[in-house]
Amino acid sequence: MIFDDISEKLQAGRARDVKALVQQAIDEGISAQDILEKGLVPGMNVIGEKFKNNEVFVPEVLVAARAMNQGAQLLKPLLAAEGVKASGKVCIGTVQGDLHDIGKNLVKMMMEGKGLEVIDLGTDVSPETFVETAKNEGCQIIACSALLTTTMGVMGEVVKKAEEAGIRDKVRIMVGGAPVTEEFCRKIGADAYTSDAASAADKALEFCTELAG
Amino acid sequence: MRTVKSITPIRKPWAGTMTARERFNRQMHYRSVDRCFNMEFGYWNENFTQWPLFYENGITNNEEADVFFSFDRIAVIGGVDWMCPPFEAKEIGRHDGKIVLINADGLMAEVLASGRDTIPHYLKSSVTTPEDWKRVKEEHFDRNSPERKLDIAALKALHPEDRDYPLGVSCGSMIGKIRDMLTFEGLAYACYDYPDMVEDMVETCCVLVEDSLDQLLGNFTFDYASGWEDICFKNGPIVSVPFFRDVVMPRYKRIRKKLDQYGIDLWYTDCDGDVRPILPYLLEGGINCLFPYEVNSCAHPGELLDQYEGQLRIMGGVDKMQLGAGKEAIKAYLESLEKYVARGGYIPFCDHRCPPNVDPDDYLYYLDLKERMFGMKA
Ligand code: B12
Repeated sequence: MIFDDISEKLQAGRARDVKALVQQAIDEGISAQDILEKGLVPGMNVIGEKFKNNEVFVPEVLVAARAMNQGAQLLKPLLAAEGVKASGKVCIGTVQGDLHDIGKNLVKMMMEGKGLEVIDLGTDVSPETFVETAKNEGCQIIACSALLTTTMGVMGEVVKKAEEAGIRDKVRIMVGGAPVTEEFCRKIGADAYTSDAASAADKALEFCTELAG
Repeated sequence: MRTVKSITPIRKPWAGTMTARERFNRQMHYRSVDRCFNMEFGYWNENFTQWPLFYENGITNNEEADVFFSFDRIAVIGGVDWMCPPFEAKEIGRHDGKIVLINADGLMAEVLASGRDTIPHYLKSSVTTPEDWKRVKEEHFDRNSPERKLDIAALKALHPEDRDYPLGVSCGSMIGKIRDMLTFEGLAYACYDYPDMVEDMVETCCVLVEDSLDQLLGNFTFDYASGWEDICFKNGPIVSVPFFRDVVMPRYKRIRKKLDQYGIDLWYTDCDGDVRPILPYLLEGGINCLFPYEVNSCAHPGELLDQYEGQLRIMGGVDKMQLGAGKEAIKAYLESLEKYVARGGYIPFCDHRCPPNVDPDDYLYYLDLKERMFGMKA
């Protein structure tokens, strides 16, 4: 099956093979949505599970994501033409004062791997920017990353700003990064913390499905 | 170099009957001591401008802070075991209020032209392909470069044989500096795309460290060896465990052999994050101590000290999150360390540089309590 081939090559990080197989599938007349949902996403899911269980490490995740991107690039215009909507929209960023972006990028990749649309706000992002973007772009999820004990407090500000802007019940706020814990998440009134990027993507998809239903 | 500025210490040295050197060596080898070795790893730059304790007393850097708090002295020396010459740091362009520059490791980075933010945003490494590496290796990693020759006499004058403090020899980094040169993502891709190139980089690091050790080991009686990797984060290592085991660890073994020839037993490495997946290979490679051992991305130091009792030692491991959580939390945390200080092979201090969110009053409380608990008993 071509879907299994795509999934396997993606897991092995073979970007060129993934690209060629996706092109072949398109040429065979398979819909872009099927290629995404039955080939690329399942491949990324396997990598995510293995990452959670410490069976693979960051390099494997990065090369798999790179392969996924190659395939996804080909599908993008077709998905738009097919009128396929992403399963949800996320805005993600590293909070104000903090420039660590590796973890944030990994979370973004895993979320994209789940078929979510992700707006990357970059690093040093103010609470206002998170909230305004979520409001203007209709994001279901605000995802904040912080790697410093001195910047994690900004996440609490994001929660407050979302309340002030009257969108608190429409968005789910997710937090993560080295110093962040479940307890901290509860304390600031955010909706979810996960310790790794794969679980973050699972949770985000869960929230989007919940909000859509 | 020791500081020349005159500093009035705010605390007295802890009372004791041993020299710092004797104490350090005995403590890290599980033998009886007059009291615990008294040290800290240092502070963020911001502490020097934000803590009244520092700026009101004219303390501007970590060396001065060590004198200010009268910590036990500990020193380390090493060779020129990385790029030589380094890349010439220079500005290569400007756009949209940003300056693009090349740093000493050859990384292209962007900083704000306003100077508001001095932490660079790294864009690109100078090394991505084996061709790049070949060129950079020739230009910056020549083992015979005359600048790699150390001035042993000058070092001896700085650290005489009869010194009363512990002196370490640096064993550099086998993979951490490579990560700096390639960037985090660059290293991940390179491990996958060009594994032979990465292995050659690790080999180059090892040879340069061996060359430094050959110059130093015969000329000093070292008390310990040090190293730096910073190759882990919250979810484990940023390189795969098989890569660490098969490519990095064998090089540690080579260095361990040299250290053994000169009777240097204690060897620590500085690695943040969750080191547990690679710890068996650090130990197998001959690294038997972790420094400054970051707690919040890994585990309570006691957990590892119990699991690897007699094999693993730790320097550091006082959770900075607890230092920032007030006096009660500090007390409870220090109490959780008592058993390990008593056992030996463990020196408690903040698990990295102390961040500015720690209240300076709480920090002084921490130093006081540490002395009461681990200083010399009357
Ligand atoms: C690499 C690194 C850097 C690089 C960053 C490069 C970059 N482009 O990001 C550089 C060298 C630039 C750097 C700079 C600094 N750093 Co730094 N850095 C690290 C290091 C070693 C690894 C971080 C990393 O990339 N990990 C890999 C990624 C994949 O992991 P992660 O970010 O944790 O993400 C995972 C999860 O947390 C989660 N996740 C992440 N984000 C999110 C978001 C959501 C919503 C969810 C659900 C999950 C989630 O998923 C990810 C993957 O599973 C850490 C050590 C550590 N223990 O983390 C120190 C560390 C974070 N740095 C530290 C410090 C002190 C600094 C500096 C202040 C140093 C200085 N004085 O200059 C500066 C600060 C710059 C700034 N203003 O931001 C300290 C922070 C201590 C503290 N008190 O908070 C640490 C902990 C080191 C230490 N032991 O003390 N650093």
